[in-house]
Amino acid sequence: MRFFKKSDIPVIAGILLISLALWGWYRISYLDTPVVAAIYYDSELVEVVELNLNTEKEFRIKQQPDVVFKLHKDGSISFLKSDCKDRLCIRSGRLKTVGQSAACLPNKVSVKIIRKNKNADHDLDIVIR
Amino acid sequence: MAVSKKIIRVVFTGLLFAAAIVLSIAENSLQIPVLAPGVKLGLANVMVMYALFFLGKRYALLLAALKAVFALITRGAVAGILSLCGGLASILVMALLLAFFGERMSYLIVSIFGAISHNLGQLAAVSVIYTGLVALVHLPVLLVAGVVTGAATAVLLKFLIPAVNRLGLK
Repeated sequence: MRFFKKSDIPVIAGILLISLALWGWYRISYLDTPVVAAIYYDSELVEVVELNLNTEKEFRIKQQPDVVFKLHKDGSISFLKSDCKDRLCIRSGRLKTVGQSAACLPNKVSVKIIRKNKNADHDLDIVIR
Repeated sequence: MAVSKKIIRVVFTGLLFAAAIVLSIAENSLQIPVLAPGVKLGLANVMVMYALFFLGKRYALLLAALKAVFALITRGAVAGILSLCGGLASILVMALLLAFFGERMSYLIVSIFGAISHNLGQLAAVSVIYTGLVALVHLPVLLVAGVVTGAATAVLLKFLIPAVNRLGLK
């Protein structure tokens, strides 16, 4: 088996083009949609946070006080602190676009950015506790 | 002679496993930004790939299972499941490619598809464990990441091939 073949180039270019197209389509369809952050604990929606408030604040959810979130002035949310080992949630950085999500799997907490309009799709069909 | 070849294979599997552990520790300490929830770059998956190329499907599956057990012990059940799903998805896709196309494939393209399917396998596992979490937004990132890591591991593989050939496994 050879290391590289000329026929690899179109395949790789195809993969890159598909990702570029998906990304472009995604950006165009969701760019200026007002968003909220939905926070899930154990796959249940526990809190919905407004994101376009131009405020900076830190908060926790009562179901999992070991995890601290932070709202940023640019309308994004991030994990600030967590007691988990790998801290993937914190390394996920700031989230602000629809569909972006981050999770602290050891603590069963996840955040997902969704559209503000509740009736728009199935994103918010879970009852808030 | 047959026995000594088997011993070489077992030893080589052990070596690959050791390297996989080192790589996963290195990846954790590198602080690479997270691509998608629960999904990591999967540098350690390189070793599974090498096992598939040099030792065959059985050893690759064994290595994926060992890796999953290691993740289970050190990082918990979820990490173990993710590791296993990524490893299995990548072995499955690479083995299918090799079975159908064989010599017509190149190491580079098999490696890239292995890396992509490793990412997708983990993403699928995340979406099963945490329903509704996974969105299309991660797909382009994971595809590009797969191409980059796949190409990088293929280059590493190229340097490794002469050394492995001296072991006389094939």
